[in-house]
Amino acid sequence: MTKDARGIRLEVDSLFLSFGGVQALKGIGFEINRPEILAIIGPNGAGKTCILNCISGFYRPQKGKILFGTDIINKLAPHKIAKLGIARTFQGITLYTGLTLLDNLMAARHIHMKQNFLAGGIYFKWAQDEEIRQRVVVEDIIDFLEMEAIRNSIVGTLSYGQRKRVDLGRALALEPKILLLDEPMAGMNLDEKEDIARFIIDIFEVRKIPIILIEHDMGVVMDLADRIIVIDFGKKIADGAPKEIRTNPDVIKAYLGKE
Amino acid sequence: MGKLDKYTATELDSLPKWLRHNAAKYGNNKVAMYYKHKGIWKSYTWQDCYQHCKYFGLGLLKLGLNRGDKVAVIGDNDPNWYWAEYAVQAIGGIILGIFVDALPAEAKFIIENSESTYIIAKDQEQVDKVLNFAHQLPQVNKIVYWEHIGMWNYEDPLLISWEEVEELGKQSEQANPDLFETNIDMANENDYAAFLYTSGTGGLPKGAIHTHKTIIACGKSVQSIFPWSNTDNYVSAYSPGYIAEQMIGVSGGLMVAAHINFPEKPDTLNENIREVAPEFLMFTGRMWESLASMVISGMLNTTKLKKVFYDFALPIGYKKADLELMGKKPNLLLRILYLIAHSVVFHQIKDRLGLVHLRYGVSAGAPLSPDCLRFFRAIGVPMGQALGFSELIAASGHLIGDPPDSETLGRVAPMCEVRITDTNEILVRSDGLFIGYYKDPEATNKARGDGWFHSGDAGTVNERGQLVFWDRVTDLLEIRGGFKFPPQYIEGKLKFSPYILDVMVIGGSDRDFVAAIITIDFDVCCSWAETHRIAYTTFNELSQKQQIIDLVSNDIKRVNRVLSIEQRVKRFINLNKSFDADDAELTRTRKLRRKYIVEKYSKIIDAIYSSQGEYVMDTSVTYADGSNKEVRTNIKITDVD
Repeated sequence: MTKDARGIRLEVDSLFLSFGGVQALKGIGFEINRPEILAIIGPNGAGKTCILNCISGFYRPQKGKILFGTDIINKLAPHKIAKLGIARTFQGITLYTGLTLLDNLMAARHIHMKQNFLAGGIYFKWAQDEEIRQRVVVEDIIDFLEMEAIRNSIVGTLSYGQRKRVDLGRALALEPKILLLDEPMAGMNLDEKEDIARFIIDIFEVRKIPIILIEHDMGVVMDLADRIIVIDFGKKIADGAPKEIRTNPDVIKAYLGKE
Repeated sequence: MGKLDKYTATELDSLPKWLRHNAAKYGNNKVAMYYKHKGIWKSYTWQDCYQHCKYFGLGLLKLGLNRGDKVAVIGDNDPNWYWAEYAVQAIGGIILGIFVDALPAEAKFIIENSESTYIIAKDQEQVDKVLNFAHQLPQVNKIVYWEHIGMWNYEDPLLISWEEVEELGKQSEQANPDLFETNIDMANENDYAAFLYTSGTGGLPKGAIHTHKTIIACGKSVQSIFPWSNTDNYVSAYSPGYIAEQMIGVSGGLMVAAHINFPEKPDTLNENIREVAPEFLMFTGRMWESLASMVISGMLNTTKLKKVFYDFALPIGYKKADLELMGKKPNLLLRILYLIAHSVVFHQIKDRLGLVHLRYGVSAGAPLSPDCLRFFRAIGVPMGQALGFSELIAASGHLIGDPPDSETLGRVAPMCEVRITDTNEILVRSDGLFIGYYKDPEATNKARGDGWFHSGDAGTVNERGQLVFWDRVTDLLEIRGGFKFPPQYIEGKLKFSPYILDVMVIGGSDRDFVAAIITIDFDVCCSWAETHRIAYTTFNELSQKQQIIDLVSNDIKRVNRVLSIEQRVKRFINLNKSFDADDAELTRTRKLRRKYIVEKYSKIIDAIYSSQGEYVMDTSVTYADGSNKEVRTNIKITDVD
């Protein structure tokens, strides 16, 4: 499962995004050029998810550009961005609720499948081999995220915490070069949060890919992140190591509350 | 495996010798272990197993393990657990197991008490647990782990992976090809081979010392109850740190060369059993009970048609089972009806549970409720109970083919003697009797000073030679007027209710009646509440809903009918939480720690016996990370008429 992704580069350059009269992003820019866990924090409505949506192609910023490697991706459709190696999880979960966990992850493998519709439909030998190859990858993920007991459960019947885990598994199934996590621990209890935090660290250690993490739990962010970007009203107000962020007066004022 | 042929004739007085014998006899022609990993069942032949044990054993030897050193294993049931045991015993070490859910302090106590020099921990979780204290214990030389997830960046000098140990072993073998075999032959049958820690029902756990000889004797004793063969499948479900798994899976399975199957993860056990459909299965009473209540609660939620079939079939099953228990033969009509019921309903249920091929299901550990046994007999699952202790197994059991009297623990085992003292204590003696408790001569003397094991359990042998278990001698309770009652017996009956997870029955010479503290089965009650449109938010709230209280109350009434008047439960409460081993209310084998519970809930118990209708309770809950929280609840006290 080890993939070395050094040399990966994501550049977000002065993004502007507005919905009617609401300015969501006002010239946000940052850069990632090595494997690191980057947390984006900020008060509710600051525009954190908007950044992820722009990177993954769900929103089109009106101004600015996003470079992934040498490709400009802010004009691309989401599925093309996914194919380039950017995977994400969602704040509200968007899985195939009528399918099993296994099928959800297998579906995520489609971008790595080489057989066409016909071969798959008739289920030729090479299509079977293809399935086995993909299944091995998916089983690795199931093992990694400790989901054996729910492998064959219909996703719609799973608990919220379990679904979040499936969502993470699906993002991993894309074998991304960069992983975007939108509040992976929202609504979880302490035990579940600890599990997810451990998984994030493990993913980072094994895959050595950059992870962009949006999270509200400050304890988690300070423990996990190598670098933190703080945004407020669509603007970046700080960018640095957790230690610096904790003492930055602008951040304390905007987010952590006055002390 | 020509090289091992010369060993087939040696006397098989230790497990490693048996392993070598099987490897020589079957080589790569027969599978010894199946193990589900990443969704696929993988197999290991006897030859594979022998090689792993050999290299691992030699690796430990090279790391400096001396004969007589103790090695602690903490991890789920995997082939590695079994291999670790055979390997350690082969090079003269002593093995001991720790339950996977032991808290760091509990694990530390056992490792310290046993003076273990090597620790084998499965994965990151267990390694973290052990690293909490390993550096405080100077005798610990190495910690071996066998699962790599999460272990990439650990740089502790104590840590070494299983593969690295095997690699060291391979190097040693090259230098000295017969080293492993010589080591196996150095063992004397009276050498210590394993410490089996008692579950600590009566205080701190004690390490019961077993030699190669007692282990072999215990393994054979299990076979005398259930003669199994090398075509049988067994699913390893319970921790090998516990004697029943030791004597059935680890030694019994080795001696008969059966197929041992290992579940993928502890929580996939039921699914994996279904895939394997084993011939032999050992569960604790509690696991059987949860399986039964799974069926019963499943039937509460099924379609109307299925319910009709089930309601038709079950009474027929009960009738046949009851007749058989009384030693009578069912008449032709009943046999035909049963055949229909079995093929239409029971077979499907057994198929869902993976019990279609089961030739013997045994319940050990804690007594199984007679109702549960009766239920499984009714649906055609051949099962019985056995009695064993960490100090000796098996003392008694329902022999295969015997109709199991559900009120007893079966016949005194063929290789065992039982005596009942004047105080109704059960004494047992056999070749499998443990040598003593490690570093505790006083307890040893008390438990086996006269050559008999003083079990501390009260019971009797009935006229048919079947052992009847009442309770711990010290746990027989009485109420005012000297009326004795066996709390576990009553609890077993109550626990058969699908709505009740755990229950503790209380009394006392200063109390007028028997009362009960109930913990509800949250999952079952949740789905009941859902179908009956009852709103609730937490366990706390659900447990105090009048409708749930009524459900429990009805089941208590049903049980009361079969009890004598003094033994009946007159009043109860639904506790606002489950009993939990992390809160020290249960032992790790999930037995109630009565003294502690009585102490912890003394105020509420007083309230039950005074005539308050409600009690305001503050409970302290310990979370898995060790933190505490106070929870306040109004607990309703309910009379049963």
